Amino acid sequence: MGEASKEEVKIAPTYTPIGIGGVSWIVVEPGLFEYPVPEGQKPALFGNRCTKCGRVFFPRRQICPDCFDEGTMEIKGLDSRAVIYSSTVVRIPSPAGLKPPYAYGYVDIPADRIRLHALLEGTDLASLAPGTEVKLVIAPIAVNKQGQQVIGYKFKPIS
Amino acid sequence: MRDVFIIGVGMTVFGKHERSLRSLGYEACLNALRDAGVKPADIEAGYCGNGLAPALQGEAGIGQHVFWEAGIRGIPVVNLENACASGSTALREGWMAVTAGFYDIVIVAGVEKTVMPKGTPLNVGLGELEVRLGDIFPGYFAFAAQKHMEQFGTTLEQMAMVSVKNHFNGTLNPYAQFQKPVTVDEVLKSPMIADPITLFSCCPNSDGAAAVVLASAEKAKHLGKKGVRLAGSALTSGTYENQKDFTGWEMERRAAKQAYEMASIDPKDISVAEVHDAFTICEIVHYEGLGLCPTGEGGRFIEEGHTAMGGKVPVCPSGGLLAKGHPVGASGVAQIVELAWQIRGEAGKRQVPNARVAVAQIMGGNKGSDTRACTVHVLMKD
Repeated sequence: MGEASKEEVKIAPTYTPIGIGGVSWIVVEPGLFEYPVPEGQKPALFGNRCTKCGRVFFPRRQICPDCFDEGTMEIKGLDSRAVIYSSTVVRIPSPAGLKPPYAYGYVDIPADRIRLHALLEGTDLASLAPGTEVKLVIAPIAVNKQGQQVIGYKFKPIS
Repeated sequence: MRDVFIIGVGMTVFGKHERSLRSLGYEACLNALRDAGVKPADIEAGYCGNGLAPALQGEAGIGQHVFWEAGIRGIPVVNLENACASGSTALREGWMAVTAGFYDIVIVAGVEKTVMPKGTPLNVGLGELEVRLGDIFPGYFAFAAQKHMEQFGTTLEQMAMVSVKNHFNGTLNPYAQFQKPVTVDEVLKSPMIADPITLFSCCPNSDGAAAVVLASAEKAKHLGKKGVRLAGSALTSGTYENQKDFTGWEMERRAAKQAYEMASIDPKDISVAEVHDAFTICEIVHYEGLGLCPTGEGGRFIEEGHTAMGGKVPVCPSGGLLAKGHPVGASGVAQIVELAWQIRGEAGKRQVPNARVAVAQIMGGNKGSDTRACTVHVLMKD
């Protein structure tokens, strides 16, 4: 594998394994974002991009399904601004430990021409209507069965 | 390809059962074998669909248990998992084996126990990132509802009418989990699960099993069984393109096209259908995906009564997943049981008159805002 996998290692150490003494948080999935967010930096999600055709993927893919060449994928920090495509407010507890009510949906990132599944901040559906402009935040989203805070990503209305 | 006939069908009542998976599966297989008039030793291969036993009961490979309980031994047994389409995928595998000439007679079963403690959603584990980020099944269909309303003007009342229709049909079906009608108002005012999906917009979690016996034309003739011809079968997966349209499922349209072509039918020929009405919005989208009405007109189609008993094309006469219940891996086989009864004219109070062409559609699982597997089957009276 080429440069891409080396870079991947750089953003992966935010992963804190379960079971090590004193651990109070865990990221929802290693490698999606840096946590804690480095000082002076804006929060970002890391996808990847095929340098041959320009398509952006999140979560990252192993190989571009169309170009199908090895070594064309590079890590890409996604734009933090998005627009809500679809939204709902959940009124029952989620199996993953999210407490109701909570909102989630799909957001479009115009700069990267990509749509993401994402939690949304707030519980008032009217303020999370499709078309609402939102921005990325990295934040605790739930407490897991081990009592750890799960750190994930959310999008919050810009107002 | 050889013609394949459904020569025996059977199922358990759907609902909450204090019995094992194998006990439910046994009952369905026994009913199907008796209906076909064959003995366990006549069966040449078995296909069993189950969606969630590894996650919910800690049990895998249920097919060997089920078939063995029914006296079926020593033959090839295949276990299949394709979420809600597990049973229909098993059916397709059985159909492929008979149509291709590998076997002359096979059994297909679907078994599941998914009843959860009251007030908890189906918990299928935290393996998926989306689930760890709060995704629940009703949420995904809430998006479909939101986009369908936004794009086509479908209303909350129209969606509720699907639940009203299917609960009414359930009162006509002794195998249905729910035997009580509901009103539009009750559906709309039932507890909100994920806006705009309310409790009575969702199918229940259920326990149950269903089974069918498939045979080649020659074998059916030899056994003196007329049977119902399984004239078309299609299974698709998605392309999972990132910015898909949330108002429909392209893979459903593709599956329908393939199955209709195989059966040489047109949507206009369909007398009755059973669809994946896991949530009320789903049935409206399936009217469109199966070509029963034009794209965007599904809401109006239910409102005008075309899919009710006595309508142009009754949909889910069994009560569907919404009222008959949804034991995940069994549902796809139970749809075939219902439609075989319809074509044989044995559906009792819910009989659709002169049912000649029946379509079963079911899909399963989520991946990248799309579904994982979709099947469409066509049953015909010859």
